Amino acid sequence: MDAFAALATGLTVALQPINLLYALIGVLLGTAVGVLPGIGPALTVALLLPITFKLDPAGSLIMFAGIYYGGMYGGSTTAILINTPGESASLATALEGNKMAKAGRGGPALATAAIGSFVAGTLATIGIVFLAPWLVEVAVSFGPEDYFALMCVAFITVSATFGSSPIRGLTALFIGLTLGIVGIDRLTGQARLSFSVPELLDGVEITTLAVGLFAVGEALYVASRRHKHAETLEPVRGSLWMTKEDWKRSWKPWLRGTMFGFPIGALPAGGAEIPTFLSYSTERKLTKHPEEFGHGAIEGVAGPEAANNASAAGTLVPLLTLGLPTSATAAMMLAGFQQYGLNPGPLLFAERPDLVWGLIASLFIANVMLLVLNLPLVGLWVRLLAIPQPWLYAGILVFATMGTIAAKPSVVELTMLVAFGIMGYVMRRFDYPIAPVVVGLILGPIAEAQLRRALQISLGDPMVLLQSPMSATLLAISAVALIAPFVMKGLGKLNNSDD
Amino acid sequence: MDGSRQVDRAGMALAALLLVIAAVIFWDTSNLQLAATYGVGPKAMPIVVASGLALLAVGNAVLAWRGDFPAREDTDPKAILLILGGLAALIAIIGLGGGFIPATAILFAATATAFGRRAILTDLAIGLVLAVAVYLMFAKILTLSLPMGPIERLL
Amino acid sequence: MSLSVQGILRALTVATAAFAATPALAQMELKIIAPAAPGGGWDQTARSMQQAMVASGAAKSAQVTNIPGAGGTVGLAQFVNTAKGDGNTLMVNGFVMVGAILTNKSPVNLDQVTPIAKLTEEMQIIVVPANSPIKTAKDLADAVKKDVSKVTFAGGSAGGVDHIMAALFVGSSGADASKVNYVPFSGGGESLAAIIGGKVTAGISGYAEYEGQIKAGRLRAIGITSAERRPGIAVPTFKEQGIDLVITNWRSVVAGPGINDAQKKALTDAVDRMVKSNAWKEVLKQKGWDDAFVSGDAFAKFLKDEQTRVRKVLADVGLVK
Repeated sequence: MDAFAALATGLTVALQPINLLYALIGVLLGTAVGVLPGIGPALTVALLLPITFKLDPAGSLIMFAGIYYGGMYGGSTTAILINTPGESASLATALEGNKMAKAGRGGPALATAAIGSFVAGTLATIGIVFLAPWLVEVAVSFGPEDYFALMCVAFITVSATFGSSPIRGLTALFIGLTLGIVGIDRLTGQARLSFSVPELLDGVEITTLAVGLFAVGEALYVASRRHKHAETLEPVRGSLWMTKEDWKRSWKPWLRGTMFGFPIGALPAGGAEIPTFLSYSTERKLTKHPEEFGHGAIEGVAGPEAANNASAAGTLVPLLTLGLPTSATAAMMLAGFQQYGLNPGPLLFAERPDLVWGLIASLFIANVMLLVLNLPLVGLWVRLLAIPQPWLYAGILVFATMGTIAAKPSVVELTMLVAFGIMGYVMRRFDYPIAPVVVGLILGPIAEAQLRRALQISLGDPMVLLQSPMSATLLAISAVALIAPFVMKGLGKLNNSDD
Repeated sequence: MDGSRQVDRAGMALAALLLVIAAVIFWDTSNLQLAATYGVGPKAMPIVVASGLALLAVGNAVLAWRGDFPAREDTDPKAILLILGGLAALIAIIGLGGGFIPATAILFAATATAFGRRAILTDLAIGLVLAVAVYLMFAKILTLSLPMGPIERLL
Repeated sequence: MSLSVQGILRALTVATAAFAATPALAQMELKIIAPAAPGGGWDQTARSMQQAMVASGAAKSAQVTNIPGAGGTVGLAQFVNTAKGDGNTLMVNGFVMVGAILTNKSPVNLDQVTPIAKLTEEMQIIVVPANSPIKTAKDLADAVKKDVSKVTFAGGSAGGVDHIMAALFVGSSGADASKVNYVPFSGGGESLAAIIGGKVTAGISGYAEYEGQIKAGRLRAIGITSAERRPGIAVPTFKEQGIDLVITNWRSVVAGPGINDAQKKALTDAVDRMVKSNAWKEVLKQKGWDDAFVSGDAFAKFLKDEQTRVRKVLADVGLVK
């Protein structure tokens, strides 16, 4: 097999000691910047790209891959340890991961995230080798109506994050949808809910909302209850490492997360958020420990983290086979390639297989490096939680505000962060779930834009949603998922009344 | 606090707030001048969302009326105000060009105080050291652009 | 306590201001504003300038600041306020900002800044899927004339250069430009997939973005928007196909409002020196940008003309009243 020979060559290059050193430096730098809330992997890479300019192509690609993975893992680390998702793709990780950390199981949470990322990354790399040409045809045939149908499926899964009361969950979701309207309407270029504030024209930044709701909101909430509930954090309770039981509960979510992440990541507008939430709700449905969800279930960390990483590898499919940069990160990779005066595209595989496989090998090596570097550091990371509470939360707020201001140097953005913090506090106090707000902000605008695009192309004919087989199938799935629980409940009631 | 049958006033206020947001969306939608030439226009989504919010406002009001809102514990308003004050100071200092380092130091000290520490000067000093370290690392070594003030220009 | 902190701050501000006021005689310490997030075209332009400025010795140092938001109008507003009379600050901008100022009803506009120079431009292209029955610009124009609603164009954001170009094409084909069926997509990748997948009739973008697909035979190019046919590019211009459509996506640099003539000359000289340097030529080659250097009054006039043209098109399409 050609591809494997090429991959092997790429690996031998990447494994040279000097290149391993570059990978190590890249991972360290990437993690350092990636832990800042609001600065995701794409921005991390953009900021650090100039550092790689000075190296030879191989070394530069490898350091690049290291920065990228470091940035991604940095976001997950803060999501788990201090409930501050550094980027929207690690939101789902924060839901269970932080609960685990608070219960003294931060070690296993970080470990399952790192190992899950590694497993997913490896599988997805193999997926690129075998499936790329086929998958890309599917991806290209995915039209606006199909995306809309996919969003419908995703919307159904949001209910998994609703908690006890559907009214409260829906309220949170609709607040998110409201925030999603803010800004320039993508199809007509008009400002909505922007109140003539120029900073609002680009809409609400997902990370600003997430950091405000999660980090600032939580700091306010914990501080307000401190006199009653002195929260004592035990960094480690039980084993620092994953137990046999943890492994047993993690491996299936890793695989399922990969199955969600890789194909959806390969879609030009798929993104990383949707697969992570699909994975989260699937694990919640399938788990044998439903009582642990909401209190720190390891499946809820393992699945989304794998999905996140697999979707990142998925974006390489359209990039390498079509030259389509479908995410901010892919666009940065394109910039990485352009350093050598070549544009990824349909001809790249044929013309420069060495660079393509070099990149894939580099990603693989960086992934390994991350694992090697971070597993020993897990113990050190969780010790962060042993910092006395006043300083810990003060530090969290410092990093939250700094990440926001570094990503968007504007007082308006900081004011929004604080406003979302207050919102997060009020919602916690009145027991509204937080996650649906963020999900609404992510999904709402995409669903709206894609539906309107589909209807604009069909000149207003809604049948377009059913004429595409993919869209029809996805809509049927979401209809079943929506109705099934009610039918089951109804049947259950019927049975009970028979008794 | 046997409130199971009592009207929850705070809950009613929240429901009213939702209704206000719905009204604001409706008002904002009426200001949109352009319709789409083909397909669905920019007003459809806001109208759907605003209608949903209005319905949910009613739903929340019913919950509050029946006293079905979750029970809440006393809070410590001083702690909240301290943190919010710290954040407001941060925004003001950055907005007025005071720079990242003093703003961060004050936020750090205010938050630590809110969490029960009684050593403002020590915490200010710790915050200052943290801010300088963070600034040197991220702005100088990793070339992130952070707000500049007089202190930052000296570094 | 906060009072005393403020006092110290004020004292420090005064001290540093006095320090900064000592004239930098030999070489300038340049600040370059990129009114966009890291990674985009304006950011790349700013960072390439940063390298070339220092490498060519046109400036002692150069620092890039990103102020993203709303097609550059957030950055513009901040620039107009803070760079008043500042002879050491430049801002990158371009065609997109001209449209964004109008569609976003921006309170500040390009009349308030001091034009320095146009740096680069990229020509635009219209493509169709390789299996499309449309083979030439004339075929597409005929289709537009037959039923303008059925010809869908995919491209970038509403009111941007792609949108304006779609309207210009429909107008020059003899159809009603306000009826153009233009579908904005969020990113180049998404719109390209919609074109290759045959969801839309045609796609509009910068030439470089589609070059690979055209060479690979997935897309058919039906026309480029430059005035002259380009060496090495087998695609005919619209002009030679009888359609009056010449438009380029240009990028330029401007300085703050109210700078004096000496400051303006110093900045223009610095940009001039940079543009002539090998470092800059290397950048142009690497990024595939066309050199379009125009400075002084010629650029000021060009900027005015483009503003008038864009305003007219946006009004035709109905995006601006």
